[in-house]
Amino acid sequence: MKKIVLGVAMLTTFFAACNGASSSTSEAKTSADSSTTKTSMAPAATEVTKSTVSIKGILDTYLKMKNAFAHDKDKDAANAGKDLIIELDKIDKASLGAEQAKTYSDIKDDAKEHADHIATNAGNIKHQREHFDMLSKDIYQLVKTFGAGQNLYYDHCPMYNNNKGADWISETKEINNPYLGKAMPTCGSMKEELK
Amino acid sequence: MHRVKKLLLALFIVFLAIQFIQPARNNSGQVALSEISECIHVPDNVLAVIKNSCCDCHSNNTRYPWYSFIQPGGWWMASHIKKGKKNLNFDEFGNYSIVKQKSKLQSIANSINDGTMPIPSYLLLHNAAHLSKEDKKLIIDWANTNLDSLTNKN
Repeated sequence: MKKIVLGVAMLTTFFAACNGASSSTSEAKTSADSSTTKTSMAPAATEVTKSTVSIKGILDTYLKMKNAFAHDKDKDAANAGKDLIIELDKIDKASLGAEQAKTYSDIKDDAKEHADHIATNAGNIKHQREHFDMLSKDIYQLVKTFGAGQNLYYDHCPMYNNNKGADWISETKEINNPYLGKAMPTCGSMKEELK
Repeated sequence: MHRVKKLLLALFIVFLAIQFIQPARNNSGQVALSEISECIHVPDNVLAVIKNSCCDCHSNNTRYPWYSFIQPGGWWMASHIKKGKKNLNFDEFGNYSIVKQKSKLQSIANSINDGTMPIPSYLLLHNAAHLSKEDKKLIIDWANTNLDSLTNKN
């Protein structure tokens, strides 16, 4: 009987701890949600079509992450993930037209989720890379929408994910594969030059 | 000995007391949709697997087992459901941006392929939620097909 009651007490503590952890994540989520809502309620200004917004901070952090993955460095990638969340929030949506603001907030929401998974999964580089694959698509969309402001290359790795393939953005012409890392650093090819 | 008895009694009272703190139930009463978004159709066989193995945590309707009514089991479950719905909610799927829909489809395929979903602790208590090889292939193919068609549309 004593053992049972003690067991129950321990379980209670354990579950309470679990609950605590999850509620703090959901708070973070709520604040993210509210910032999104603000974006979508921004006044519709259609006259601004060309953006003056620079996504350099986002790109630099993404490239840092890409290079971490190319060297199989899960912890560095995780740190870049944390930084990327901050950079994504830095963009001033007031300077965007309505359509661009919507595009940006859709991409930002998605990219932040991937950055968060990468940030919190040091030690599980396989899972981090799955999100890097999806994040790279978001970053490509950002470059397409807002311009790169520098010479970048859109590279393709045909072998990743059971030959389903994946893309990434690089600042160098040489291939440095972030999906296969040190195992196959030069596997892949450039498919587009971005400016 | 007297002390031990008192302690046990106190713990028992705590256990009884927490039974009154029941988390809100995740039951919207909606019927699972076969059109989860404007462009994505869920065939009956795929829907059946999703309903059986995913929707307890990834929709607005949970089938609650008996132990969910005993605390702290119910709290534990509530925290799982909250986290699950945050990451993917089939009842909200149509409200996601296209960017997010694509990511979620890819994540579905990834997590089934990796075996990270359904989570082992859920399978421990829900034997029927185990995905067979065929189930896995069905879901992964469905996710990939829709991911490709969304990508080609945009």
